[in-house]
Amino acid sequence: MSWHLTHDQLHQYAAHTADDVTAMSAEAHLTHCAHCRGLLPTDRAWLDRSWADLRDIVDQPRRGPIERLLTSVGLHESTAKLLAATPQLYRAWLTATVLVLAMALTVAHELPRGSLLFAFTVPVVPLIGVALAYGRGVDPAHSLTSVTPLAGYRLLFLRTAAVLLPALALCTVAALLMPSVSTLWEAAFWLLPALAMVAGCLALSQWMPLSLAGGVVGAAWLLTLFLLGIAEGLDPLLLFDPTAQMGWAVALTLLAGAILIRVRTA
Amino acid sequence: MSGEGGVTTGTANGPAGGTADGTTTDRVSVRGLVRSYGTRRALDGIDLNLGPGVTGLLGRNGAGKTTLMRCLATDLEATGGRIRVLGRDPERASERTEIRRRLGYLPQFPSFYPHFTVFGLLDYVAVLKELGGRRKRHDEVRRAMRRVDLYDRRHSRVRRLSGGMRQRLGLAAALLGDPELLLLDEPTIGLDPEQRIRFRDLVSELAVRSTVVLSTHQIEDVSALCRRVLCLDQGRVIFDGTPDELIARARGRVWEQGSRPPEGVTSWRLADGRYRVLVPEGAENPDSDSRVPVEPSLEDAYLLLTGARGSTR
Repeated sequence: MSWHLTHDQLHQYAAHTADDVTAMSAEAHLTHCAHCRGLLPTDRAWLDRSWADLRDIVDQPRRGPIERLLTSVGLHESTAKLLAATPQLYRAWLTATVLVLAMALTVAHELPRGSLLFAFTVPVVPLIGVALAYGRGVDPAHSLTSVTPLAGYRLLFLRTAAVLLPALALCTVAALLMPSVSTLWEAAFWLLPALAMVAGCLALSQWMPLSLAGGVVGAAWLLTLFLLGIAEGLDPLLLFDPTAQMGWAVALTLLAGAILIRVRTA
Repeated sequence: MSGEGGVTTGTANGPAGGTADGTTTDRVSVRGLVRSYGTRRALDGIDLNLGPGVTGLLGRNGAGKTTLMRCLATDLEATGGRIRVLGRDPERASERTEIRRRLGYLPQFPSFYPHFTVFGLLDYVAVLKELGGRRKRHDEVRRAMRRVDLYDRRHSRVRRLSGGMRQRLGLAAALLGDPELLLLDEPTIGLDPEQRIRFRDLVSELAVRSTVVLSTHQIEDVSALCRRVLCLDQGRVIFDGTPDELIARARGRVWEQGSRPPEGVTSWRLADGRYRVLVPEGAENPDSDSRVPVEPSLEDAYLLLTGARGSTR
């Protein structure tokens, strides 16, 4: 290098008081001239921190679109990571959910009284997802994650949320595509039963594994349908009439209260 | 100190398990621990204190090692007795969470999410371990990967890792957060000899400030690493002491000889055609002509200890 920056030029560049042309010229020169770089005052700690930050940006696990979306709507980065990871863990369940809903919709459109199958299937879809979201036997890495501070209720509720939200969204879309459904309100007939069953599953998980609790609640649902189906003068669709919806709402409130009390007293 | 059948045991620092003023220095304190599966007692009245250092846990399959590790790791509730881990009660949710913040656990058969990368999986576990903000957490994950020699594979999917690499991945997960209590259940399964030496180095380094419990069938690991050995049998502690103390119990009971010993005496054929014979207390070894006494190894001593209750041949 045949020339070097003057003391004034270096000082102005370092203090950010150089004009744009001088600053660009100085920067280009500093890139190639170790002598001038050596004269530039540096904050070693800041430089180390900056390099470490840069290294971290370059060398970190790639964040998926869901994680980026959740972060962008204001969720804490670690919470977003946990929520985003859950559907990844249950890809098979998500795929199965889409297939089941698609089949139920097809039946509803193609067969007379086919919408009954859809009506009785859709409330248990979120329940199955939640039942498979946490616990030994359904989570491959449960032995590693079960002894971490977040294990237990916090992870259970995070996973429940991560499973419930896509399940509810898929079920809503499917319900809106049902024949003869014209409003969102009409399409939401399944929502309270589904949420009450999920709450029942979470409440039962105090005494048994979550997957078993889901099985018990699901079996109770099928048994109720069966009994209503064989009883004279009764129709399984009674489970969705306005009176039953009130009952579901009360059950949901009571179960949510029980879960809350259980978490607080644990 | 040592003894037979459900003895009260000392600490890894020494037999006393406490200080002169009566306060305890133990990281782990267990009294009368019972864990049952149905009618079967996997742990039957375990008493135990552990301070810093490496403690080896030996025992046959089904002796209760993994159950004990899982109870200490807060993964399994005790059926009876009292456990204190890092001074806290794992039965209480808030204290259990505090224990888990300071605990590292490598389960016997760790399994993972196969489509995660090494870095992604450890980062996920680090989030579950509440290891600070992203930068700090990533630095900790990198440190753990370097410690187990997986840094170069950080972007590999878990499903592409060999068995030994997966074992190291589990170890890295356990090491996250620099735990005060490290519970390693069969940590050297699948590791090649070079990796085992590195593992021993790492555990020795960690044991300077942490309490490490090593459950294993690899007697060489216990010889190389542990200042204290606990032997379990049928859910009870049948020996608690140093490796030297265990070996001392076997002196005068290990022989090499030309003929096969009678039934009921543990023995095996050596490469030169002679037999190594472990004679349990009270048993006779009739071959007095060709037998030569030999210095027992830790493995001999362990086999004598456990072989006395239904010997092998």
